Amino acid sequence: MPTPVLDALDHQLINLLSRDARVSNRKIAAELGVTEGTVRGRIKRLQQDGLIAFTAVTGFEMARKSRLSFINVQADVDKVREVARAISDLPQINAVLITMGQFNITAMCLIEELDALVEIASDQILSINGVHHVETSIAVKTMKYNARMAKITSHQVVDEDSED
Amino acid sequence: MKLTATQSTRKSPSRCLIQPASDMTPSFNFDATDVNIVAQLRLNGRANNQQVADKLGLTATTVSTRIKRMEDANQLRVVAVSDFAAHGFNFLLRISVEVDGRPASEVANDLAELPQVFAVHLVTGRYDIDMLVALHDFDDLATLLLDKLSTVSGIRTLTPAIVVDIIKYQFDVAPIEGRG
Repeated sequence: MPTPVLDALDHQLINLLSRDARVSNRKIAAELGVTEGTVRGRIKRLQQDGLIAFTAVTGFEMARKSRLSFINVQADVDKVREVARAISDLPQINAVLITMGQFNITAMCLIEELDALVEIASDQILSINGVHHVETSIAVKTMKYNARMAKITSHQVVDEDSED
Repeated sequence: MKLTATQSTRKSPSRCLIQPASDMTPSFNFDATDVNIVAQLRLNGRANNQQVADKLGLTATTVSTRIKRMEDANQLRVVAVSDFAAHGFNFLLRISVEVDGRPASEVANDLAELPQVFAVHLVTGRYDIDMLVALHDFDDLATLLLDKLSTVSGIRTLTPAIVVDIIKYQFDVAPIEGRG
């Protein structure tokens, strides 16, 4: 990804919207001392560049999946991309990172029960062609998580400017 | 109801957030209307109350009341998620930590204080702590290692993995903190 050039106004916008994305363009414009048109244009550009996306985050009462789990995978070096894609196609998987280190793929998922993790890791992922070894670990306690930053991957970018 | 919610998030092309387990707010009941409103907001977080209402055959007042109720119970936030790149973080590391001679939770709390550390979890398995670190560039690594991590006692080993590509990153559940 090319390094984006963001100015102070972009950062102020991102900051405001990361607290509450439902603020109207008018209110944002008033707060930042710019026109509504500027706000609309900036938001649109940030979205198109894949730098921000809007979403609804729910607490655990709704999702009931409360445990973040890591699945560390050792795969053939020449098949890493294919394997990573195959893992990311599994609907239960939330994140897939290709890494350089002891393991070459890290997958993350949210699970309700241990059985589900074993099923995903030891049955589904381990049986993918090119995968040699999997290890799992479960987050028991989270000290810090900055949920406002993430990787916005291209296929996820959608939203439009809604205030017409 | 739970199923509807999960399915709708899967299909949603919208961006999403993360998880963890610690601060659960006790019992809040989502009914079908709440679930439908959340599904609409996942499709377009910037939709106004009227637009959501039109899609679902509700009134704007109902939509507004329901959203407020979920927000007040800390069960819903509609937010912008920004890319690591928007903040100039071009170098991501996952570091697994082995702890020695000190409670792992204390070490994890110290690590959480560091601004470069983006996420810290106490985990089961071979290592004790798993953390995600976001840096601007390679030079930041020396600062992190020599000036920051070296001041945290109890770290026996650091096993880094350099993130070279992110294939998928879709979380829609998070611990929701109250608004200050």
